[in-house]
Amino acid sequence: MNMLPDGAQDRLLSNAKLIANTCTSFGVQQWDIVGFQSYGHELDIEAGKITMAGGGGEGGFGIRVLEDGKFGFAHLVDVSGASRAVEQAMGIARKSPSIENFVLPSEQDAQSVGGMCDDNILNLGPDDLLEQADAVLSAVKSADKRAIVTGGGVGISATASCLLNSEGILETGLSTSHGIGVQVTVDNDGKMTSSYQGDSSRTRMVDVPDCIERAVDWAVKTQNPIEVESGAMDSPVLMTSEGFSPLFSMVVPPAMMGEKLVRKESFWTGKMNENVMAEDLSIHDNGLLKGGFSSGSRDGEGVPKRNQSLVESGRLVNMLWSTRDAAQQVAEGRIDAAHSTGSAVSRGHQSPPSTGASEIMMTSSKGSRSFEQLLEQLGDGYVINGVMGAHTANPTSGDFSVTTSSILRVVGGQIIGPLKQAGLSGNIAKALAGNVVLGNDVRRQGSYSSGSMHLPDVLLMEGLRVNPA
Amino acid sequence: MFPCDYMVMVANQGEAHKPSTGRYLDQEKVRKALDSATTYGASYAEVRLVSFTQSSVAMRDGILERAIPGQELGLTLRILADGAWGVHSTTDIASLPEQIESTTRLAKAVASRRADGEKPIGLAEVPIYEDEQHWKSKIDVRNTELDTKMDLMNDFYRGASQHEHVVSVTTGWSDEHIHTELMTSEGMDRTWSFQRSLIHGMVTARDGGEVVSYRTRSGGQGGLELIQGVDLTQLGEQAQNAAIRLLKAERAPSGKMPLIADHDLTGVYIHEALGHPCEADLVAAGDSCLDGKLGEKIGNELVTVVDDPTLMGGYGAYPVDDEGVNTREKVLIKNGVLTEYLNHRETAHHFGLEPNGGARAQDGLHHPLVRMSNTMILGGSHVDLDELMEDVEYGIYACGTRGGQVDTGRGSFQFAAQEAWLIENGELTRPLKDVSVSGMTLEILKNVDGLTQNASLATPGFCGKGQTVPVGDGGPVMRIGEALVG
Repeated sequence: MNMLPDGAQDRLLSNAKLIANTCTSFGVQQWDIVGFQSYGHELDIEAGKITMAGGGGEGGFGIRVLEDGKFGFAHLVDVSGASRAVEQAMGIARKSPSIENFVLPSEQDAQSVGGMCDDNILNLGPDDLLEQADAVLSAVKSADKRAIVTGGGVGISATASCLLNSEGILETGLSTSHGIGVQVTVDNDGKMTSSYQGDSSRTRMVDVPDCIERAVDWAVKTQNPIEVESGAMDSPVLMTSEGFSPLFSMVVPPAMMGEKLVRKESFWTGKMNENVMAEDLSIHDNGLLKGGFSSGSRDGEGVPKRNQSLVESGRLVNMLWSTRDAAQQVAEGRIDAAHSTGSAVSRGHQSPPSTGASEIMMTSSKGSRSFEQLLEQLGDGYVINGVMGAHTANPTSGDFSVTTSSILRVVGGQIIGPLKQAGLSGNIAKALAGNVVLGNDVRRQGSYSSGSMHLPDVLLMEGLRVNPA
Repeated sequence: MFPCDYMVMVANQGEAHKPSTGRYLDQEKVRKALDSATTYGASYAEVRLVSFTQSSVAMRDGILERAIPGQELGLTLRILADGAWGVHSTTDIASLPEQIESTTRLAKAVASRRADGEKPIGLAEVPIYEDEQHWKSKIDVRNTELDTKMDLMNDFYRGASQHEHVVSVTTGWSDEHIHTELMTSEGMDRTWSFQRSLIHGMVTARDGGEVVSYRTRSGGQGGLELIQGVDLTQLGEQAQNAAIRLLKAERAPSGKMPLIADHDLTGVYIHEALGHPCEADLVAAGDSCLDGKLGEKIGNELVTVVDDPTLMGGYGAYPVDDEGVNTREKVLIKNGVLTEYLNHRETAHHFGLEPNGGARAQDGLHHPLVRMSNTMILGGSHVDLDELMEDVEYGIYACGTRGGQVDTGRGSFQFAAQEAWLIENGELTRPLKDVSVSGMTLEILKNVDGLTQNASLATPGFCGKGQTVPVGDGGPVMRIGEALVG
């Protein structure tokens, strides 16, 4: 049985058109409408067993109206409320400041992006998920008999979406996702260690993903902490992709947003075309990535997405803009010219699009190293696989001060044991401007701020301070 | 009825923010649906509908950035069959009856995988009510005009912006009217409603290459009266002063040292370090360091901690929990002894305890988890901050929160302060920034060695546990004899 009810996409679009007709009947100058409708199944795992099976569907519409550069927004679930919602949005627009030259984008050719929908997921049902959850539980047990899945689960979803505006843009899409995540705990005579790892894909994950083994591995290898000399000291740190991405995503993508840069709210303000990172490092945002979780043919305003360099060989070369932010910052005189870079992100029907990254990738012209080679280059220092408090990092300055209980001491390139707990502090911008070595196993990670982060393990030789408990 | 299978079927939703009949659910139809669940083999079935009428506003430097009104309606059907849960969540109320059989089947499929000796899920018994409980706000926040909200937000802006180093002031507004209807196969039929209102601001200041920001919030459970009762200009001035202080602040020293936390940070500390490990669903899952420790002394006898959803005005207050259980104050620690977990019906049954009103769901599309509400350490015997500082030769006084996080299984936690001062020989000396504190729950609760007499709820907060819910945290000013800083 297909997860998506018959005709679901058509109904979504026809209801969006109903709202569009309402906008037209009210005489709205410009409007855009986004619609989402998701269906899914999920299983919860706790205490080493499947505890709940769930499913369902949800969705709604967001309406943006634009009158003489003034915009208003409202959202709704039930299209019978379209008139009221359009009136609300128009009322808000009337009270909003006019942004000179802010107009909604018109139709442009957009490249189609594949890999977004897998029929194999659409045809999965709860029984398939139950079998997969059983396989996950077995994999954890076979990796280590002491290991228990204390949280997490398996889920699939299918989302129909549409975007249409008064300027002729009409985009519909169907995407699928399959996710598996586990919190694994190892209890060794009351000394508990744990690790959360997860993976997700637009296509069906037939086998038990590698993240399950990694979760067990980290829960096990942080058992039996060693004593180290306390006291904070500067130290090189090898951060795994999972450990690094929360800090990176909290701080780096916002620093490349046009609005933040011109408002002087980015640590890279005033550094356009200057070196901001180590000269071998580049960052690009591939909005056209096949099968990406944040890629697609068009952004949240309907502008075609692109694959764009943001930092090239250490030099800041581009910034991220939505149509609205670009018009506003030009109108307010903070920058002479700015145009949408196809970077408007729609985070659902309940909020208007805002600027964000799609699929951020960091690469090095020096190539990449295996984990063992990174350890060797680290010499004396630490490996960190997860931090607590990444959301408290300061995106304006890049400063952070977090805690980790997923940390290993390394001496002479050899792991000698875990620490019970340690503080980790520093400045991400400064660390990335120093000596940075990238691993060769790039893994996609979610994000606190926006988009997906495709990051390998990262060896940061400078700019970090470790404070063992 | 609407001509599609995924839109809500409600009376008059498009025209007003209240259901015309006072109820969204058709009680007769829902009762029949719940009865049919029993015939399919369910031991328990419930339908919970939540309507959120909400509004948010964002301004920057006194200019409207966005205003978002909206109404969201969701429903969750939860069925317990053969000791396992099946759940269906939807925005399509009309589809409810056809989901009963498949959701019961789902629960049975989960149950069939239970290994020999594994305990089936059960629910602790609770009193069955058929009633309505509506916490009326003094001023219904739904009737607030956008102009009124903008005027209030501009009061904050005026207080915050008048300084050469302030580069931007952003202000935000959020209000919501929450209407919940719960019907169960046991005959529970409860409707309750209440409101929350919140205003927040952030001041960003720059001096040369140094950029800092300071955030503040005010609000809680209630209507417009909560925001009107705050001197927002003064709140803005305080935030501006803090941001300017941070421009001059030094990075905090690292190491183990005495820490004094203001009532705001004390609240976050107790939320992260103790509140989460006390959530009985985590305890039952084997993911809490407090498993098996009920009745044990786990903290200094100075420490008494309560979680109380009946604290009217607190951001985490609610009249009835999301399983229809009446709320009450829970004493989690009494004089250092762990006395109570936070429970919902499932965990109460699992541990043979009383349900205590701890079930909360983010909205109508999520099932209830065990959550905190308003969590506080009660006051102690010290008169004030000065008395707490008297004995401190070298330590830190930390204020305001930038959030925290906990690993409940390991019992380790972290929280970060907005600003801080160095304490030297009992005196506040230099301002500090980027102070974060970490520790182990079972160690640091024993290190609390001083609490001021006055305890209060602090700034409203949000707690994430897969689902996000509003919470209130607070306490007195607290001294920890030794904490890991930085």
